Amino acid sequence: MELLSQVFDWFLAPENLNGPSGVVARLVEHMQISALAVCLGALVGLPLGLVIGHTRKGEFVVASVANLGRAIPSFAILAIALPFTIRAGLGLGFWPTVLALWLLAIPPILTNTYVGVQVIDPDTIEAAKGMGMSEGQILRKIEVPLAAPLIVVGFRTAAVQVVATATLAALVAWGGLGRFIIDGFAIRDSVQITAGALLVAALAVSTELLFGSIQKIVTPKMLSAPVQPGQGAAT
Amino acid sequence: MRRTRRTFLGAAVIALSLVLSACQSGGDDNAGDDSGKKESKGTITVGVSAAFAENQIVAEMYAQVLEHHGYTVKKQLSIDSREISQPSLEKGEIDVKPEYLGSLLTFVGKDSGATASSDADKNAEAIDKILEAKGLKLLDHSEANDTNAIVVTRKTADAKKLAKVSDLTSIAGQLTFGGPPECPSRPFCIPGLKEKYGIEFKSFKPLDVGGPLTVAALEGDEVDVALLFSTSSVISKKGFVVLEDDKALQTAENIAPVCNPKKVDEEAQQLLNDVSEKLTTSNITALNAEVEIDKKDPADVAKAFLEKEGLLD
Repeated sequence: MELLSQVFDWFLAPENLNGPSGVVARLVEHMQISALAVCLGALVGLPLGLVIGHTRKGEFVVASVANLGRAIPSFAILAIALPFTIRAGLGLGFWPTVLALWLLAIPPILTNTYVGVQVIDPDTIEAAKGMGMSEGQILRKIEVPLAAPLIVVGFRTAAVQVVATATLAALVAWGGLGRFIIDGFAIRDSVQITAGALLVAALAVSTELLFGSIQKIVTPKMLSAPVQPGQGAAT
Repeated sequence: MRRTRRTFLGAAVIALSLVLSACQSGGDDNAGDDSGKKESKGTITVGVSAAFAENQIVAEMYAQVLEHHGYTVKKQLSIDSREISQPSLEKGEIDVKPEYLGSLLTFVGKDSGATASSDADKNAEAIDKILEAKGLKLLDHSEANDTNAIVVTRKTADAKKLAKVSDLTSIAGQLTFGGPPECPSRPFCIPGLKEKYGIEFKSFKPLDVGGPLTVAALEGDEVDVALLFSTSSVISKKGFVVLEDDKALQTAENIAPVCNPKKVDEEAQQLLNDVSEKLTTSNITALNAEVEIDKKDPADVAKAFLEKEGLLD
């Protein structure tokens, strides 16, 4: 309990909040690197997922390769990438971390996207074709909107994982909220460590909540409405 | 304190040394039988101050020299940190371990407020006083000094004409410094550099404790100046230049055996002092390289050294 009150005091001290190594600056850094990683992950995962879902081809190969990203620990990627980025003149901490987080963000986005498209009732697609829709129209007007809730789940999973893992950036001399934890360990300051851990946890939970509400917004009405008996929606 | 942090290198090292000590305890029985031929002497348990290569090499030297002279030796070379090894020595679970003067004084002098200096003899004297009350004894310290070193690349040293730490004072404002994350709050690091040398770097990058990240950052010009350990094998391997600590900021961390004289008798103490006499900063650095870079077994490295120095004759 004493620790908790010390942590509380830590958060009240202005020198811990402001300045280039304060909570505000570290929080912004953490969100920047996480957002960049998720966007880069979406750049790969989203189009690839849509193509696989739409054509229903190549899912095994792509999913297997993408899931490798999940199997290799982010820390290992960081360690492997570091010498290369230093040699390439890209600096110490930022780009290795982005790479590690990017590889972490791809699998959930990719998998959820193609599954979201794939599970659409084939009759719906057939009906769209029957109405004379082109492939592109089917993708845009039928598949993407129907898959949207699952796609957002993919983003949500990716974002939460990335936010939690971005803590590693501090291990390779970059900033972010991990700085409080790593530096706290170095000087055996359990108050600072706890404060850092709470910040990361809070940011991860906020991310989860944010994407949860986006998910509600993008879910088409007919999918979210409770099924009334007698409507025969679910056969 | 900083010594213990090297052990964070990971479970791998600990696991390895556990395996090693397990193997060796098997060998101990045989050794005990051998010594039965000669006059039977006491049993001595050799420990480490913390489990990292250099400490294990020196502990192996102690163990092998004692064993060779008829003592029955047990080894505990996987002890994690000084927080564990020092109480173990006081309680008699281990009887001798290699120590570092400055770090040991800082550790045992916590209560009395004794502080380590850059003078090895003064540190040793202060330790003697504290340990006497606990029934322990510090033996002769070696020349080998594993302390913090302010290091630059050969290129930087040549370009900026750097040889001493004080050479940095006028140009520090253009330089980036890299070191362990605790650096901004440690007297040997940023505060000490500012106070003693008037050095204020342009910026500081938190890296690791004299480990691969620091080396990579220095090599890749991500930092201009870095903090490493003076006996680190990478310094010579990478051709880094250690700047002379001309204002004596760093504590003297000479390697010395600390023992329990009830178990380690006069003859054994002399044997350990003989080892200290042969150790220098440069030869222990070379031995570290054999273990850290060439991946040799600390026991083999120690044995080869002792044979070369005629301590197993």
